[in-house]
Amino acid sequence: MRTLLVWLAGVLILVGSSQVALANGWNMPVGVSSLSGEIYGLHMTIFWICVVIGVVVFGAMFYSLFRYRHSKGAKSANFHENTTVEIIWTAVPLLILVGMAVPATATLQKIYDPSDADLDVMVTGQQWRWRYEYLGEDVSFNSNLATPRAQINGEEERGEHYLLEVDEPLVLPINRKVRFLFTSDDVLHAWWVPELAVKQDSIPGFVNENWVRIEEPGIYRGQCAELCGVDHGFMPIVVQAVEEEEFDTWLAERKEAAAEEAMGIDREWEMDELMERGEGVFGSICASCHQPEGQGSPPAFPALAGNEQLIEDADWHIETVLNGVSGSAMPAFRSTLNPVELAAVITFTRNAWGNETGDVVQPSEIAERLEE
Amino acid sequence: MWEVIKSVLAAFLGVQREQQRLKDFEEGNPIAFIVTGIVLAAVLVGVIALVAVLAAG
Amino acid sequence: MAPKVPPQAILEQSSTAAEAGHGHAHETPPKGMLRWLLTTNHKEIGTLYLIFSLTMFFIGGIFALVVRLELFQPGLQFVRPEFFNQMTTMHGLIMVFGAIMPAFTGLANWMIPLQIGAPDMALPRLNNFSFWLLPVAFGLLLSTLLMPGGGPNFGWTFYAPLSTTYGPPSTTFFILSLHIAGISSILGAINIIATILNMRAPGMRLMDMPLFVWTWLITSFLLIAVMPVLAGVVTMMLMDINFGTNFFNAAGGGDPVLFQHLFWFFGHPEVYIMILPAFGIVSAIIPTFARKRLFGYASMVYATAAIAILSFLVWGHHMFAVGMPLVGQLFFMYATMLIAVPTGVKVFNWVATMFRGSISFEPPMLFALAFVVQFTIGGFSGLMLAIAPADFQYHDTYFVVAHFHYVLVPGALFAILAGAYYWLPKWTGHYPHLRLSQWHFWLSVIGVNLTFFPMHFSGLAGMPRRIPDYALQFADFNLASSVGSFIFGFSQLLFVAVIVLCARGGQKAPAQAWGDHTDDLEWSVPSPAPLHTFETPPTFHRPAH
Repeated sequence: MRTLLVWLAGVLILVGSSQVALANGWNMPVGVSSLSGEIYGLHMTIFWICVVIGVVVFGAMFYSLFRYRHSKGAKSANFHENTTVEIIWTAVPLLILVGMAVPATATLQKIYDPSDADLDVMVTGQQWRWRYEYLGEDVSFNSNLATPRAQINGEEERGEHYLLEVDEPLVLPINRKVRFLFTSDDVLHAWWVPELAVKQDSIPGFVNENWVRIEEPGIYRGQCAELCGVDHGFMPIVVQAVEEEEFDTWLAERKEAAAEEAMGIDREWEMDELMERGEGVFGSICASCHQPEGQGSPPAFPALAGNEQLIEDADWHIETVLNGVSGSAMPAFRSTLNPVELAAVITFTRNAWGNETGDVVQPSEIAERLEE
Repeated sequence: MWEVIKSVLAAFLGVQREQQRLKDFEEGNPIAFIVTGIVLAAVLVGVIALVAVLAAG
Repeated sequence: MAPKVPPQAILEQSSTAAEAGHGHAHETPPKGMLRWLLTTNHKEIGTLYLIFSLTMFFIGGIFALVVRLELFQPGLQFVRPEFFNQMTTMHGLIMVFGAIMPAFTGLANWMIPLQIGAPDMALPRLNNFSFWLLPVAFGLLLSTLLMPGGGPNFGWTFYAPLSTTYGPPSTTFFILSLHIAGISSILGAINIIATILNMRAPGMRLMDMPLFVWTWLITSFLLIAVMPVLAGVVTMMLMDINFGTNFFNAAGGGDPVLFQHLFWFFGHPEVYIMILPAFGIVSAIIPTFARKRLFGYASMVYATAAIAILSFLVWGHHMFAVGMPLVGQLFFMYATMLIAVPTGVKVFNWVATMFRGSISFEPPMLFALAFVVQFTIGGFSGLMLAIAPADFQYHDTYFVVAHFHYVLVPGALFAILAGAYYWLPKWTGHYPHLRLSQWHFWLSVIGVNLTFFPMHFSGLAGMPRRIPDYALQFADFNLASSVGSFIFGFSQLLFVAVIVLCARGGQKAPAQAWGDHTDDLEWSVPSPAPLHTFETPPTFHRPAH
């Protein structure tokens, strides 16, 4: 009897928790895109089908366990097959599955139709940040984790959006069809924002497509969903969905800023300017592997501070940053960073942490090398 | 032959009348069942693929 | 009337088996360590496999507890992300290849010859070799943790190029250890097939075999079919890392997605390798304690075969997010949904076996019943994952972690524990300590569900898997999971206590330890089973009704 009560309690907990599961924050979000509601609907349909089957099967099982207890003198019957029953319980699940496959197929067809997009955004995964490029608009930027390391290490109080905040969010217009093109510069990543119901692997050498039409303005947060190395847990995604006009204004501003930056290539830069700019670039791009103090974490990520080859051979240093080291984790930054950023970060690493070479690498020099 | 196919299909579903199963095991040629099983498994793959192609339009 | 298949076996050989137990015709075996190193006896090798898998289970369990300790609350407290990734990877590899698979092989070694009335495995020396490959493989694998750069840190699925171009220097050792473990599995599978097909007691036809034997026969074919694929894919990795090839390196014209196709063509049948023998164990235990024949024996065999065939057609459902063409998505979605049919048949058969039985709740039955419920829950989330559009939201989240752990821990592992409790009287001659067993059961059930059930919610709420730190809204779920994992982990020490006590003494068990409602051949030999059994083959009789 006591065993039975515990089993019954177990069933109650299961039923109870399935109720709680419908509460907010415990379930898949309904989302804000034209397809996310449909996907949520599929999820709930199959969930309730499972609940009903579960109640029937477990009900029959617990009834048998209770009703036919040996301790209550139950005598076992002697049947061991029944063709009719077996046909029924094979055919009924088959029909349920066909009923489930039809709406799932319809939704999948919609997901697989990225045609007639109003805006194309190239999303590139990198260890460990996302790079966004508004195709045909000359606007592109990196999006890095903005949560301070001190919060992660528990030295500061954690903010509301701990680990789900970035320095520059992806800005998208609502009510327009946005087509994403996913690729990667190094290992596999996966771009996922639950509220948009978009998850797609970004794979080196491949370009995957997906699309979204956001229906409500707001800020939507997600994370990389494919193990991509040490900082896999630290490359979040933030999408800021804004009204169409606001988006157009924002894009125009960004285009202007990009043009201004391009002008900076030709002028002569001061050491201090480059060091300041370079420190920022190093912090957001390089420090995740080579560590904030340039000490690296050998053998995978060599130290930069006091690195003899780096100090002695400026040419090799520039070459390595521009083109990466094949067969290692060092990527090519020639298309990720612009010439100003490249010159700044190279100057910075040549002069920080006691490297003290005194070398100043000018953006124009980098621009020349990039054209070779 | 039709008998063999029917029995193999029944095995795919996991349901067979006891008498028929006994008969298959007493009289049937195992090679025929194995070959038919492999062929029908290939047919199953083909059918699922066909349905997928049709559904994808 | 025509003979019924499957029959009730009437056994006549108990006396011969008991006589054989004296082992008069045998030379004295070597003593001490050498005896275990050189043994070709299926019972001793079975015991070695089981002890090995229990050891690995605790090592893999400690890795899991490191992971759960770090995830106890947000922030990085105990380990760095580098080590965290090594822990998740090693936990997966050790549990899959070192704990679950060898546990089933150990049970197969012990029980298949006993269940088919064979004196030993068909290839005893090969049997010894396949076992001793395992400590080598896993010693090598564990040693990578001490190498510069650390051990494997790319997940148990070791997707390229993270595991090739970006892998730690120890990856080559990891590849070698997988090769050795793979050879062990293939040799073991060949041995099991040879034993089952050639050494059944006279009169026992395939459709007379206990389901544990059937499920292992089918599992062995799966092993032989897919282990070479694993060997192939790790060899391609080896070439990419050490010999400059570009199988998976996009920069050299290679294809990282090819890696996933190859891995999951191995990986999905591998999942069934870890669950089919569990079906066999549960199908032996439920009829015994329901005091009623298994409902739908033939359909159980067919369903196992159907699951095995379908397992080769569904690998793409692990890859719904890689950007397969629509036709591919649909094919894998439909094929995956079909698996629910034979799996459902099995669950229905177990329930129908209990219906109108006469049920008692000894420890093996408790674990078997928990298996049915918990495995079915894992099946339900599997069905949800099969729906490709919804899978875009589930993929690579804790929902998936919840799903496969429900199938493998409250599922496969509980079946292994059920099997151990069921056959311990046969192995040791003593019943397992009842109170301790019950404590072990209830703490395990509570711990395992507290660990894995909240993972459904954290996954749906948006928590990706394999992250060492998480956003604040997942904190409560992770707290619950961590508490549960510690309850579950430490309660397994009770299991060790039960085994040790049982080996040392306890209530004596007769030959038919669980009563006379089961006619499987292992219950016809004395308890404990003597070192040599069935030297004279028993005659298998089908009853005439």
